[in-house]
Amino acid sequence: LCLVSRYHAAGLGDLLDRASQLSDKLHSLSTSLTNELDTHFPPMGKILMPRPSMCHTASLQTPHDKDQALRVPESELLSLARALLLSWNDPLLLLSAEAPSLSHPHNGAIYSKTRELQDQSNNLSSGLDRLVHKIGTSSKSLSPLPFKGGDLGGDKNSRLINFYFLLSCFRRDSHKIDNFLKLLRCRAAKQDIC
Amino acid sequence: FTDVLESTPGLSPPGKPTLTGCRSPEKETFTCWWEPGPDGGLPTNYSLYYSKENSDVLECPDYHTAGKNSCFFNKNNTSLWVNYNITVAATNALGRNVSDPVDVDVVYIVQPHRPENVTVAVHAVDGDDPFLLVRWEPPRKADTRSGWITLVYELRVKLEKEETWEEHFAGQQKQFNIFSPPSGEVYMVQVRCKPDHGFWSEWSSTSYVKVPDYIHRERSMWIL
Repeated sequence: LCLVSRYHAAGLGDLLDRASQLSDKLHSLSTSLTNELDTHFPPMGKILMPRPSMCHTASLQTPHDKDQALRVPESELLSLARALLLSWNDPLLLLSAEAPSLSHPHNGAIYSKTRELQDQSNNLSSGLDRLVHKIGTSSKSLSPLPFKGGDLGGDKNSRLINFYFLLSCFRRDSHKIDNFLKLLRCRAAKQDIC
Repeated sequence: FTDVLESTPGLSPPGKPTLTGCRSPEKETFTCWWEPGPDGGLPTNYSLYYSKENSDVLECPDYHTAGKNSCFFNKNNTSLWVNYNITVAATNALGRNVSDPVDVDVVYIVQPHRPENVTVAVHAVDGDDPFLLVRWEPPRKADTRSGWITLVYELRVKLEKEETWEEHFAGQQKQFNIFSPPSGEVYMVQVRCKPDHGFWSEWSSTSYVKVPDYIHRERSMWIL
């Protein structure tokens, strides 16, 4: 029994380690994409941009500081990360569909980074599915939030602004996902790496 | 009274203050600093105001803890993943001037304090050349144990007599071995840390170590 439980713990640790590497990468990519857009972004763009409370995931209640986050049970933290990630399936698809025609001198690089975001996000979401099997589902079932904005708008400026807005929402959410997964990783690993 | 002041040459409302930056050392609290503008020749008061997304405007909770021209937000006043819209207002008897607003999400301004207790020890095993074992601890306030913050470290070393530092990346480890240190020289070591998504800390204060004269000793053995 001792052996079995140690094997189980090691498997969970490895999975969480791998998942947090992916979430780390996902957030770093979103930051690098933001920096890329920043190089040529209309000065008025950020003033015209919708407020963060307009993000489609804003209604999902998540912890706002360390004490709150540490009180959330493991299965629920995982559910939160998963619900957040799955809420981005459609919008990430939209971003990579729109990137090639974006009115931005680096739209080639922006396109390849959005594709990479999609790939990493898919990898992470299959990792999170495996983790849900190991850790169990939370009593509070959380479903991904629907994304209603089907396109980015008509003129080239509003498309650029809406692209940036979506990305800034994703950047915040990917940071949450990464933070939650790293908490889980340390809870599983106990003293090992943390 | 204001009429008298206005007619006095050289007195004017305060200039526009500037928010110079905000920093969170551990993702649990943060501080913002400002630079006053010209004071208009009169005693001038500064107030910092902030509002979180869709919330009321509040005044700075603590002007003292972080020193002059600063506002400290303790744990209870710090939320993550939410934008703080911050302005500073300068007021004197003749009027008021407000800084440009700054939007801050605490997760994007994380810069830890420097690593602590940096020690360098000479490890000598019989027959082998000695090596240096550098150890350090994360900054006291950073909660790395729960995984709330993840830090990676970099160290730099140089001979006391030389000018250029040599840098080594240590990852999440809290120790690092330096092999084949130059015999008989004084070595200087500093360490800094960076959170997974954030900025490098300042370098720690320098730890010195005197490397034993091991090559000299070997030579003399050869002669024998």
